[in-house]
Amino acid sequence: MADKSTDFIDQYQAFVRAGLETWSRQFDPASQSSTASPSADIMGRMFSGLTGYGDWMRSMAAGEPGAVPFAMGGVPPFGGPGATPFGYGPPPGAAPFGYGAPAGAEMPQPGTERFDEWAKMAREALSMPAFGLTREQQEEQQALFRAWIDYVEHYARFQTLLQGVNERAGAALREQSAPTDAESMRSVYDRWVNLAEENYGEAALSGEFREVYAALVNAQMRLKVLQQKQVERLTRQAGMPTRTEVDSLGERLQAMRRELRQMHGLVAEVESLRAEVAALRGAKSAVKKGRAR
Amino acid sequence: MSGNPFSFDPESARAEVEAFRRKLEAGMETLKHVGPIELGTTPREAVYTEDKLTLWHFKGAKKPTAKTPLLICYALVNTPWMVDLQEDRSMVRNLLAQGEDVYLIDWGYPDGADRWLTLEDYIDGYLDRCIDVIRQRHALESLNLLGICQGGVFSLCYATLHPEKVRNLVTMVTPVDFHTPDNMLSHWARNIDIDLFVDTYGNVPADVMNFAYLTLKPVRLNQQKYVGLVDILDNPKEVENFLRMEKWIFDSPDQAGEAFREFARDFFQKNQLIKGEARIGGKVIDLKKITQPVLNIYAEQDHLVPPAASTPMAGAIGSKDYTALAFKGGHIGIYVSGRAQAQVPPAIHDWLAKR
Repeated sequence: MADKSTDFIDQYQAFVRAGLETWSRQFDPASQSSTASPSADIMGRMFSGLTGYGDWMRSMAAGEPGAVPFAMGGVPPFGGPGATPFGYGPPPGAAPFGYGAPAGAEMPQPGTERFDEWAKMAREALSMPAFGLTREQQEEQQALFRAWIDYVEHYARFQTLLQGVNERAGAALREQSAPTDAESMRSVYDRWVNLAEENYGEAALSGEFREVYAALVNAQMRLKVLQQKQVERLTRQAGMPTRTEVDSLGERLQAMRRELRQMHGLVAEVESLRAEVAALRGAKSAVKKGRAR
Repeated sequence: MSGNPFSFDPESARAEVEAFRRKLEAGMETLKHVGPIELGTTPREAVYTEDKLTLWHFKGAKKPTAKTPLLICYALVNTPWMVDLQEDRSMVRNLLAQGEDVYLIDWGYPDGADRWLTLEDYIDGYLDRCIDVIRQRHALESLNLLGICQGGVFSLCYATLHPEKVRNLVTMVTPVDFHTPDNMLSHWARNIDIDLFVDTYGNVPADVMNFAYLTLKPVRLNQQKYVGLVDILDNPKEVENFLRMEKWIFDSPDQAGEAFREFARDFFQKNQLIKGEARIGGKVIDLKKITQPVLNIYAEQDHLVPPAASTPMAGAIGSKDYTALAFKGGHIGIYVSGRAQAQVPPAIHDWLAKR
């Protein structure tokens, strides 16, 4: 026999799910009603938020309050749900630019000892000297892959940190007795949000968070730089202007505009001085005329 | 699961579920009929344009009574329409109603051509030229300057470089000390290799900035806010208000690379403003040179610029006429909340009128 006290939670979930499904159908691009839909962007954000709410209810039903305190799950800063940070393409588990793991080597899960061993071997292999006509390109690719391994390690570190925050938030919530004055599921949810944010806030202001966060961002930028370098090489080969060239032109143009502004300022100053000199001359000649009389 | 974890009875929970579902379904109809969302409703005229920048002059229902015009200098992040979001939530409209003559700098949306704009270009260039335009229009030596957030920092810097052009200075939610322990953004930025970051990105994408802001309060801003939206889905006016705010939050400009580099490195990382070490175009920014009257308005629940980041202004500037005004609210509420409409513009006007 089902536990009567959990019936309503099951129903709540079912209702919310049904509601979301109804909405999903309404906003399905294939559906006829989609022509009247508001922007997909806001609907995406709203669904994401409501899905998180549904997850929270499932956690509550499972007796694990706050199992997923962060709407982004384990996604690091600047990455959307399910995406890698800074909008950078390849998520951990997929190699950049179609580079698979070295032949015969299946990449283990980042953040594990097996991955560390694999990364060490891969780094050694990727440090071998390159030869021949494509020597430079080989070295570029090796550097890109090394940067990618580095990034994946930092990503795993960041996820571990967030998981720790998650667990601490969950523990703090479990330590609290069930609110006796809560009037609705919603009021319990709102309290849970407050606690989750408090825990996250404390962690986010820690020295460890700052260090791990920055290391991840820096690793991602190093990877992106190497990616851009490869794109630039391909662009040059195709006879197209590169970003470096465009940036260089922009920098020169901006410098010229500053000089031009400065010159305009000087011209205005000269004009003003001329006017003053003319006024003084006029005054002098008036004095002379006065004396002559 | 063992037992009911809640103190309310299952029947009321069922009713809550049912109400939630009904609102979701009804909400579809509301959203179908929401028209295009517009920001910035107060009549205005462009009086100066340069590159992406527009200097707006607002027109109130009555002629301004203030003799000295007030220029609002907004931050580079987000658009400036937070100060004129909608008719009943507009700091600009309320300032006009008080009798102020209001101008606003709209920095526009930088693109690749603006990649090399520096803080000097913004502060000693664009801002200075806007101020000169207004001075000429009104045949005045100086005007009143109101800086908001990063625009407040720009205004402080400007007032030290050209004190003769600023009669009174008003700062809102403006950081001066970037290294207070509760400043999460600055804390996160501290160890980032800013040069590598800007060299890689060029202009910093708005999405990157927005995601950083969302992760300051991830559950509240990514989840709870949208759960709350369901509560108002049956109220078209409230939904419109929500969407208007949503548009403002996410319709953000990219950040010009060099200016971002300087601001992040010198202000966020090195905290040079309060130390008196910041330089704009090689000129030292000495806040002690600010001797004109200053009104500093900060928000008590500000998670972006905590009060502790703003209040040290009192000891950092040279002015003997310094007034601090604490507002009960957050970084955004200080412009759009009902309380803000009633309190902030009159407070600014009254303070200016006495000077």
